[in-house]
Amino acid sequence: MRQGLSRLTVETIDDVLAQVVDGRISRIDLRGARFVDPYALLLLELLVLEAIERGSTPRIDWPGTPVVRRWMTAMGFFANIGMAPKTGSSAGDRQSALQPITAISDEEGIGRVVDGFHQRLANRYPLPEASRRTLTAMMIELFQNIPHHSNATGEIGNPHGIAAMQDYKESIFLAIADKGIGLRGSLGLRLGYEKITDVQALDAISRKGLSRFADAGRGGELQRIIGIVRSWDGTFALRSGAALLYFDEHRGDIYDVPDFPGVQLAIQIPLRLFDTEMVDP
Amino acid sequence: MTLMHIEEFRIAQFGTRLGTRLEGERAREILESLLLSLPEEGQVRISLEGLEVLSTSFADELIGKALQHVVHGEFGDRTMVLITPSLELAEGIDVKLSQRRLALLCQHNGRWDLVGFRSPALSETVQRIIEKKRTTARELAVELDLQMNACVNRVARLAGLRLIRRRKIGMKGPQDIFELYSIVSS
Repeated sequence: MRQGLSRLTVETIDDVLAQVVDGRISRIDLRGARFVDPYALLLLELLVLEAIERGSTPRIDWPGTPVVRRWMTAMGFFANIGMAPKTGSSAGDRQSALQPITAISDEEGIGRVVDGFHQRLANRYPLPEASRRTLTAMMIELFQNIPHHSNATGEIGNPHGIAAMQDYKESIFLAIADKGIGLRGSLGLRLGYEKITDVQALDAISRKGLSRFADAGRGGELQRIIGIVRSWDGTFALRSGAALLYFDEHRGDIYDVPDFPGVQLAIQIPLRLFDTEMVDP
Repeated sequence: MTLMHIEEFRIAQFGTRLGTRLEGERAREILESLLLSLPEEGQVRISLEGLEVLSTSFADELIGKALQHVVHGEFGDRTMVLITPSLELAEGIDVKLSQRRLALLCQHNGRWDLVGFRSPALSETVQRIIEKKRTTARELAVELDLQMNACVNRVARLAGLRLIRRRKIGMKGPQDIFELYSIVSS
């Protein structure tokens, strides 16, 4: 872990991944982390599962700060990577986690997962109905991308689709991740896109609204969601392979990142926008 | 024209927060069975009443694809229209029909308008046909102050999208003369 890195977030988690992917270190030291966001948490989980599937046991020193450890436990992180039993968390833990890490496997189960997310959001916040509806519609689109695309080639044993949500004083944070074939692997199934790069795939899907399906009604969902998040002055990250699209209210671009399988996505929406009815772009 | 047979199709029968493409596909089987059960020139009124969330994927799988089949003539002269309590709920339908270059007549607050792939010219023409219930391209051309060819093109586009009905009633020179009918009542 980079010296002084005390926050594991959408902005910093690639520093950790870079060290692991490069094989520069055999032990990851996260003891100094005093804050972890859901996107970083999901990437850490996939990183551990990927290592286990490749036959290695990653040596990680987990954050020592009690509040961070409690939150990670409440999110189900340690249970999911086999470091703790899969039991219910304490009442205090449940309060700290808005929506623990939830598996997204097949399309049949998505309605139930979305209902769970919707209910937790409704219980915690008196958001205007229109706001909750917009968020819920986003979740439906994003969650179903996992069964539709993460293993479209059939070559992945288990793409490990997962999602989680956390609330902060000023924002709601939704993270969704898998370690499937990635955007390039999915779009590469379309005629004419077989040799596409990660950056090109990210651009084609996020900016041009393309999909692996040639049908005119397919595609465009991510492009539309990006437009909505941008109009809300939110933060958005979409990572696949060695490319990352990131923007917040101040800046945005596509960046090179350490290669990692699958697709990982983060949406952070300022809570102030929910004080009034949201308006779509 | 005979009295139209109309059936309502409430999407909320499948749930209030919808949904995935798989769910939309299953709902489409029921919608298309209903369409097939209607007599020729029958109409399905798709209602969004009672829905909280309608995703664009569900909307496309249910309505976009079914309308594609209607426009391709797979259901004869049967038509579909949309009734919504809020325009926000119909937004996903609007997006997906635009992608497919299709359009539906949609009633909101008692007023009919187009959702999906539309232009001011098409909206103006279909509104006039709805108001008049029955007219001809010649009458429309005069009322909308259009060249006859432009009017015929608009009407052909609307008929192709199954947003109006037209029946050939004769010929004038090389040109067919059509009587035009609204598929909804104002």
